[in-house]
Amino acid sequence: MRLTFDADVEAFRAEFAAFLEANLPEEAEAAERSRSTGHVPGWARRWQRSQFDAGWLLPGNPPEYGGRNATVLQQYVHVEELSRRRICRSYNPQGVGIIAASLLSFGTEEQKLRWAVPILRAEITAALGMSEPGAGSDLASLRTRAEPKGDHFLVNGQKVWTSGAHDADVLLTFVRTDPDAPKHRGISVLLIPTDGPGVTRRPFASYTGPEDKDFNEVFFENVRVPAGNLVGPLNEGWRVANGSLGHERTLMWLGEAERLDAVMRDFTPATALDKDWYATLVMDLQALRLLGSAALARAARGEQDVPALSVLKVFGSEAAQRALERALEASGPDGLVHPAATAPYHHMSFDDDSASWFNRFARSFGGTIAGGTSEIQRTIIAERVLGLPRR
Amino acid sequence: MLFEFDAEQRLWQDTVQKAVAKECPPTLVRAVVDAGTDPAPLWRVYGDLGWTELTDPADAVELSIVLEELGRATDPTPYLATLTQFAPLAEGLGEPGGSGTAVFSGITAQQADGGWVLEGTAPHVLDGDRADRLAVVTEEGVFVVSAADVTVVRTPVFDPVLHVAEVSFDQVRVTDRDRSAADPERARDIALMGLALTMVGACRRALDLVLDHVRTRHQFGAPIGSFQAVQHKAADMHVAVERARALAYYAALTIAADDPRRRLAAAMAKAAAGECQALVFRNAVQLFGAMGHTWENDLQFAIKRAKAGELMLGGAAEHRALIADLTAEESRATHV
Repeated sequence: MRLTFDADVEAFRAEFAAFLEANLPEEAEAAERSRSTGHVPGWARRWQRSQFDAGWLLPGNPPEYGGRNATVLQQYVHVEELSRRRICRSYNPQGVGIIAASLLSFGTEEQKLRWAVPILRAEITAALGMSEPGAGSDLASLRTRAEPKGDHFLVNGQKVWTSGAHDADVLLTFVRTDPDAPKHRGISVLLIPTDGPGVTRRPFASYTGPEDKDFNEVFFENVRVPAGNLVGPLNEGWRVANGSLGHERTLMWLGEAERLDAVMRDFTPATALDKDWYATLVMDLQALRLLGSAALARAARGEQDVPALSVLKVFGSEAAQRALERALEASGPDGLVHPAATAPYHHMSFDDDSASWFNRFARSFGGTIAGGTSEIQRTIIAERVLGLPRR
Repeated sequence: MLFEFDAEQRLWQDTVQKAVAKECPPTLVRAVVDAGTDPAPLWRVYGDLGWTELTDPADAVELSIVLEELGRATDPTPYLATLTQFAPLAEGLGEPGGSGTAVFSGITAQQADGGWVLEGTAPHVLDGDRADRLAVVTEEGVFVVSAADVTVVRTPVFDPVLHVAEVSFDQVRVTDRDRSAADPERARDIALMGLALTMVGACRRALDLVLDHVRTRHQFGAPIGSFQAVQHKAADMHVAVERARALAYYAALTIAADDPRRRLAAAMAKAAAGECQALVFRNAVQLFGAMGHTWENDLQFAIKRAKAGELMLGGAAEHRALIADLTAEESRATHV
């Protein structure tokens, strides 16, 4: 256990701060805003690429994958510096944090070069095709069918909630390759380019406003996918899914910590009642960072403890939601105004993070629903962390 | 920061767990309560194990590991009061092997004949009835007095393992030699840390007992632990314990390093432990059903210890108020 960092970690922090100082895009340059999690404006692509090329995108990775073989403590201060400055490293967060990460874990060398590196360098963007109309919490019951046809798969079916798909170049898609096997055993993972024949994407708006289009339905109609786009072994997609969900939950708790940090900075408690929940928020953030640092250390050692991430995910997302709900309700009639700004504009942040308190609160349900609902997380904790019997 | 035990701390935790399992098993606690067994031999064992020497604040994490395990075991000795209330105030004025406690308020000191006279009555002093020595916080400074100089009356409390007493000082004369140079604020932070870890340990014990129960208790043809309503309550308990435990050890880290975040961290530890015990008490009794209401069920010891901790040295709401003020101060300081 340690409270402070050794000189080498602080030197690493200073080096990263100097990089940011020298390379951060100017505000005027960043006028075009990202419209979805699959849309990365030109300036943001250049920004992401400059991080990749300098080994600052994912410092824990080797240099060929955008890193510098950083230690876990170095990775921790890297996240801290970004979060403190409210700097977003990629406007295609799932591409970098989940899809490229999954390809680096499960893909072939060729797939890493062909797909993961371009995603990390923001030459292309990616979306995650997991949920289906009939397969949400029960992900393993997914039905999008991919028939192996020798040199290709023939894909038919539908995905939904595929964030950013309409702006993405490729979908990491979970498909059923063996309909006769038990449900967890017949799943495979395919990289499906979105520009091919038979792929139809239909974005739809979230309840925060008709212009907020990140959700997508994606339809596959006799889509031919080259056999070389299979990620991981045939019919072993559930293992990949677990890895991807682990990456997703890591990404999510880090995001929730940033969200809590942002509420802490953007809200000033005035009354005793406000101070009471505000203190809970301060404690939640500190505890999340402490527990999260241990999870990052385990991950850096290669220990796969996906169930333990459920604790961080359910705790972080519910803490952020609670804080945002309180901030909204504490703002009284001022809180009715929407759109509105609740934090100074920062061209390197996600615009949603400084939107009206209503918007920020409403979006917090993404945290408690996406990536496995809070209910699913609790069941995972009960059965796989606490060892309670399954039904 | 990195919230992970290093290899030495893991080894220490393992050693402590084994010793507690052997020396302070549930049967002993039960015997102390139901048969009046004297816990004094156990106290001597802690001394033999070297646990009573963990008085240097630099050892706060190692001490915390002992406190958490003793909280889990609902320790019947005056360890908590001695190590986290008396020792931080006495700073060298204690005697090896002796027990002690703190009187944080209620006593006045008047100068007289080149010394001071202590006067007043302090209620609810932890282990006040069995401590060998008492460290008394007054506006004139901290004094250490012998139990022989004061009058103590044990107060009956809901936790049958806990000792609480009213301590009266009637013209107790002290001199410079009895005066401690300790910083009462830092001592209080250590006391908060101690209670927080005790409560976290007790909450973990309550959760362990609940998990055993819901795994084995069958209804509707299935273990009740397979029902979601039960599972989700248990998961909430686990999350609350993890949160409180993280903040308790964070406080220990700031104390060990004498870090400026110490006061905030100690308040967070106590507040989080308080929030944790509220949820754990409720869910534990609820999940045990009628069986959790019986005297013969050891669950009572853990949840009573956790609840008792909430009632001492300020509850969660009081500490949350302090946290908000300290955070506002800090953000003003950094943003000016």
